[in-house]
Amino acid sequence: MMKKNRTVNLTKKKDGYGINFNAMASPCEVLIQTPDKCLAELVGQYVSHEVWRIEDKYSRYDTQSVCSQINTSSGRNIAIDEETFLLLNFADQCYQLSDGLFDISSGVLRKVWTFDGVSSEYQHFPNQDDINKVLELVGWHKVIFDKQSISLPSQMQLDFGGIGKEYAVDRSILLAKQHTKRPVLVNLGGDLAVTGPRDNEQPWQVAIEPPDCSGVEHKQDMIVAIKQGALATSGDARRYLINAGIRYGHVLNAKTGWPILHAPRSITTVAPQCIQAGILATLGLLQGQQAEAFLTEQEITYWARR
Amino acid sequence: MNNLTKDIKKEVAQKVSKKINLKAALSLATGALFGTSVTTGAVGQTIEADEWQFDTAFLLYSEVDRVTAGEAIVAGTKTFSNDEVLNLKFTFDTLTGPSANGAIAQPKAQTFTRASGIGRYRTPEGETPLDDTFHDTRVQLNGQWTQPVSDNVTGSVGGHLSKEYDYLSLGLNGNLAYDFNRKNSTFSMGISYFSDTFTPEGGIPKPLSSMLVGDSNSPEWDDEFAKTRISASENKSTSDLLIGFTQVINRRMITAFNYSYSMVDGYLTDPFKVVSVLNAEGLAQDYIYENRPDSRVKQSTFMQAKYHFDDSLLNMVADVSYRYMWDDWGINSHTIDSRFIIPVGRASYIEPHIRFYQQSAADFFTPFVIEDQLPVDFVSADYRIGEMSAVTIGAKYGVALNGGNELSFRLEYYHQRPTNGGFEEPEALNGLDTTPVIDAIIAQVSYSF
Amino acid sequence: MKVNKTKVKTRMNVILLSVCVVSLSACSSLGVEPWERDLLAKKEMALTSSPIDAALDDHIYFSKEASSGGKSFGGGGCGCN
Repeated sequence: MMKKNRTVNLTKKKDGYGINFNAMASPCEVLIQTPDKCLAELVGQYVSHEVWRIEDKYSRYDTQSVCSQINTSSGRNIAIDEETFLLLNFADQCYQLSDGLFDISSGVLRKVWTFDGVSSEYQHFPNQDDINKVLELVGWHKVIFDKQSISLPSQMQLDFGGIGKEYAVDRSILLAKQHTKRPVLVNLGGDLAVTGPRDNEQPWQVAIEPPDCSGVEHKQDMIVAIKQGALATSGDARRYLINAGIRYGHVLNAKTGWPILHAPRSITTVAPQCIQAGILATLGLLQGQQAEAFLTEQEITYWARR
Repeated sequence: MNNLTKDIKKEVAQKVSKKINLKAALSLATGALFGTSVTTGAVGQTIEADEWQFDTAFLLYSEVDRVTAGEAIVAGTKTFSNDEVLNLKFTFDTLTGPSANGAIAQPKAQTFTRASGIGRYRTPEGETPLDDTFHDTRVQLNGQWTQPVSDNVTGSVGGHLSKEYDYLSLGLNGNLAYDFNRKNSTFSMGISYFSDTFTPEGGIPKPLSSMLVGDSNSPEWDDEFAKTRISASENKSTSDLLIGFTQVINRRMITAFNYSYSMVDGYLTDPFKVVSVLNAEGLAQDYIYENRPDSRVKQSTFMQAKYHFDDSLLNMVADVSYRYMWDDWGINSHTIDSRFIIPVGRASYIEPHIRFYQQSAADFFTPFVIEDQLPVDFVSADYRIGEMSAVTIGAKYGVALNGGNELSFRLEYYHQRPTNGGFEEPEALNGLDTTPVIDAIIAQVSYSF
Repeated sequence: MKVNKTKVKTRMNVILLSVCVVSLSACSSLGVEPWERDLLAKKEMALTSSPIDAALDDHIYFSKEASSGGKSFGGGGCGCN
């Protein structure tokens, strides 16, 4: 496991400060509109520490994390706290709402699907038997939990990756609001939220990277103005497989074990909270070809790129 | 599971069994996760924001029966990446209308020569003599550059240029500010230097000489008039030192204390003003040009407090300040200025304003001179350095517009009342208004974008 | 000329200002933590919340009265007084 880089950098911006740090394998940024350097440092400290706390608790890569404890429980009951219970609850509701497509126990499927956009053609493309074997370890309905504890069949794994970052953004916003009324934007690797508009009811301006950034032609970023709420992007910009001319994104259908076909390259959604935006973007992608239609029907504000 | 979660689960399940309304269901789920109620989000498209912030204003100042002036300002501020700020300001003003020439009212009509030396004007009996030849147009440019010098020190330098038909002013200023106590306290020190050149039409009159009154068309006029002049132009220089201290008291209050020391040297007399020379009964015998010392040292102490009230007092911001000024001409003044910014609704505010001013007369001020008091050293009847009190009362209304712009309107009433500082008036002045009051209206519209 | 009176007044005022400054610096317990600057950061709480209004007013009072400056540089600037 790589040694974690846990430094926080403060930079002066045009009319405020930016705090940068690394967490959850993403560059993280907090923007605060204030002339007060001390306030910026303070908010930066609180947010970075909260994000690292959530990372330490729910990262499947961290052997000390609650997530790892659950994943190595071998069928035993594991004690959980209220925060974990609430997150599991939320994941449960997403499972219901998506009719089983969104399933945080589907992480084990990564054992058969290895995605690396760089030399995708030569990646190992699994056969149905491999997939079936792993599918036995997938199924949220097999997870039993309550306010005190959780248990799941041996070798099953939970992966909070689908909601962890967005949850951290929302927690950070709550924390920022507790400490200041100044406008704050929290951006963890593209999943972001704001405490409110900038001074004088001005929107924050966010650039959304186009999915194809590998080529020489640099496509124009799309600029979105946001005054309230959150934004999350789900997509396969860098992680996909190509087999027999068909592009397979890395978002997997938890019921079939196969990647979703004909999904947009990326979907960016807007919602009052980041975790909502994230789920909506992922649910959109899970509809594959129907992504846009699905999101439109649900009256969700989104941008999709194919 | 706790009851709250159970209820929500049921609700979510119900929603799922009908047509799935994702947004609503997710909102509920998110609410349960964070224990908060959900608010609606809003997003729009946008264009690139400008880096320059502009402030513009147009002001009209109008005295009853006297001077009217209009002033327009366009100022731009740009903040650079390292906290550097550039401010550029362009000012245009124009002035017209009669103003007092220093002579006192008489029970008979009076005739004066215009400041330019060409033509005469007549003041009816009983009225304060006013010269209406003043039409002035002025253009001014200011530039100011501010930047951090080190961690807690900010420096600023600036320049000023002002040009009128008969007046040129050039100035420089510099300032350093030091923040400490977690930026709750700031100590600052600044200096400025101005160099002004005055070239009035008609030249500079010989101080204390009699005003030549006669037919300016006659052939001897030019020579005679030239004899009353000592030069075509004069200079003056002003050096200022300003020391300031600001202190944050608490979350709602900030205070400031300043001390300033100013030295002006050069030609400080007003070349357009005369003093009436009266006989024992009070009838004007002559008008002499005023004469002021060639240096003036002014000092002032200033203190200000701003307090942000809470809901119980409309969330208003109160701003109260007091300035005490004294100089070596014997003038002392007190200024109390207060304004209250009261938010109205979400996007506008109203700002009532009241200002009290009081000054004592300069040592050499006198509304008139009695013949046998001559000769005098320094003398001036300019009411502006005489004893007076003034009140300004007004209000401003501002509204924030879409895109962060602001429009505001200001209307004020200025009432200036000269008082008789103990000068015993001779008989002929009985019943005449020797301390005429000045009433003026100030109207301003501003737009920031 | 009232020179002596001015000298005494000057001395008194300088002492008054010094006392104010000293007693304030001694109270470094005054002030706020960075996260308490929400109200102070508002535009209305700046010491000069409207510099344009202040400049226009200063010009009027400089032309009509004998005092100038105090809050900022008095300066020369125009031929009005």
